[in-house]
Amino acid sequence: MMDVGRHPKIKTLVNSEVEEVSGFVGNFRARIRRNPRYVVAEDCTACDECARVCPVAVPDEYQQGFSSRKAIYLPFPQAVPSAYILDMENCLGSEPIACGRCAEVCEKKCIDFDDQGEVLEVPVGSIVVATGMKVYDPRMNDEYGYTRFDNVITSMEFERLICAGGPSAGHLVRPTDRRTPKRIGFVQCVGSRSATRGVPYCSNICCMNTVKQTLQIHEHYQDASTTVFYMDIRAFGKGFEDLYRRSRDNGTRYVRGLPGNVEEDPETRDLVVTVENTTTGKLEQHRLDMLVLAVGLEPHKGNGKKTVDEILNLSHTSDGFVLEAHPKLKPVDAPTRGIFFAGCVEAPKDVKDSVTQASAAAARALNLLGAGKVQVEAITAMLDTEQCIMCGVCTRVCPVNAITASNKKQKQFPSIIEAACAGCGTCAAECPTDTIAMRHFSDAQILAQVEAILAEDRMSKILTFACNWCSYAGGDMAGTSRLQYPPSVRLIRTMCSGRVDEKFIWHAFRLGAPLVLVSGCHFSDCHYIDAVTWTQKRVEKVWSRMEKLGIRPGRLQLEWISAAEGQKFARVMRELHEHLHRVTPAEVEETIRILEKQPPVPGRSKTAVAAATA
Amino acid sequence: MAEMKRFECLRCDHRYMAEYDRKVTVERTCPSCGSNSVKLESKKPAKKPAGNTNTASAKG
Repeated sequence: MMDVGRHPKIKTLVNSEVEEVSGFVGNFRARIRRNPRYVVAEDCTACDECARVCPVAVPDEYQQGFSSRKAIYLPFPQAVPSAYILDMENCLGSEPIACGRCAEVCEKKCIDFDDQGEVLEVPVGSIVVATGMKVYDPRMNDEYGYTRFDNVITSMEFERLICAGGPSAGHLVRPTDRRTPKRIGFVQCVGSRSATRGVPYCSNICCMNTVKQTLQIHEHYQDASTTVFYMDIRAFGKGFEDLYRRSRDNGTRYVRGLPGNVEEDPETRDLVVTVENTTTGKLEQHRLDMLVLAVGLEPHKGNGKKTVDEILNLSHTSDGFVLEAHPKLKPVDAPTRGIFFAGCVEAPKDVKDSVTQASAAAARALNLLGAGKVQVEAITAMLDTEQCIMCGVCTRVCPVNAITASNKKQKQFPSIIEAACAGCGTCAAECPTDTIAMRHFSDAQILAQVEAILAEDRMSKILTFACNWCSYAGGDMAGTSRLQYPPSVRLIRTMCSGRVDEKFIWHAFRLGAPLVLVSGCHFSDCHYIDAVTWTQKRVEKVWSRMEKLGIRPGRLQLEWISAAEGQKFARVMRELHEHLHRVTPAEVEETIRILEKQPPVPGRSKTAVAAATA
Repeated sequence: MAEMKRFECLRCDHRYMAEYDRKVTVERTCPSCGSNSVKLESKKPAKKPAGNTNTASAKG
């Protein structure tokens, strides 16, 4: 961090929040609010004179509340910049200055009670998101007596207690009597891997953190005994198994089972932990001096009014961590070009993995900036302003904000930023006047595929639109896994299911398709952030229209299949093959007859259709 | 504001109640067959499907 602070080409904005980011790859513009520090950081020498005279003492957040700090303080010893900050919420010296002692003793005259902060507009070429994580709060469920017993602490609190720079200068003491604990227990998976308490996923770091902490205890206190209560120990990384073995060899007892009850002896303040040892099947009671809860990790979304997801238009998985552009090929890239991830914002990970990912993200960002130009895939949208009615739909649906807004009054047409366009085609599918065309996935190309598929033997075919990243890859997976499914399926690949225009579906029914399937990524996997939601809305609209026209909606099917779901792909195709036999030639003929009287897209507004056909 | 609405599965014809919020689009899955072809049941009775004499409900 010191190196970063001293680097001539790195500008560090601490105590600041990103409020808004606009623009696109290579041309982002970030609005950053620097919160008031009330101390001129450049002049402050961290002499500590101000803190010595400050009469206010509040719990120190960095030390997890085990010690106190003053209202003017250094956030932590290695803080960059090494300058004090005034906590105005607790300071006595504002409006009017009631105390002002810090200002009196500061030789450098660094204290500025009138600091208002500032708003900065910073042009940036690429962005690395590294907002980190926060730990699970065990107060939420009062698990294991955390709120009732002072000698039950979290792993973060333990980390401060045993740290040389901690509140007890590295001497492990228990909170109630400041005596060195001799019997220490650790409970694993607190707030992790639970559908009802905390989060359902594994927090990745807790097992090895506990192993490390047991080793630290035995290094410092040879007479201490440690017991770990666990579901299963996940020591998967390089050297981790050795570390785990060393912990066992040092005398740490690993009990397979999580405590059912924790009580406190009111006289000694010792803790009595009842646990079922699932290895032996016996109920055990452990008398401990201290219990450490290995709390899980949760994504941290920033401290500002808006979350980082909202500011940067990022999509996230169901567990709340941001979604990468591709889990294998682009693991540090956001779906929006020019944005990269590092650390726990993407998933829970340890220091080594975070540093690896941060290095990768920095390299990706540098690569981009060093090139000075952006090479994009030729699958981008094109806009023909002659037909555009400036309705604004394209701007609204674009998941990567690649279309500038139109303005009817000023006769300003929308325009497509090709460097930012990801090529999903949602704009083209939603455009009511067919003003937008997609390179390589044009309407004419897709309609020609529909026609070719239905030219012969149409009653035995399931016309399937599959998105490139998930459903199509799911089909590949089914194939490479040698899974059997009926040969009736005919795939039309689009980059995203968002590209599937209503027009394609109606055209297929008009040509006598018995069954049409639209398939794409699961909502949490969508490679174009939320483009898949537009697919669902569109299909729902077509279902509704089909029902009104007297066409059975079940002939249009919708399915979300991920790249790993080869089995699901095969199962869906088998089910639809069964479904296909329920569509009669008479039903198909009747559909054709109904649609003959309808415009190309039934239900689309007359103005839009007129503009499209003009 | 979410409210309970009736949904029908277009794969297995299963009907069930689930939360629905007009402003939020969520991935829907039929609790019976696992299909994503889940449609919000319309209030008005639909026209009789054209020419179909062998619908999914007549399965078996």
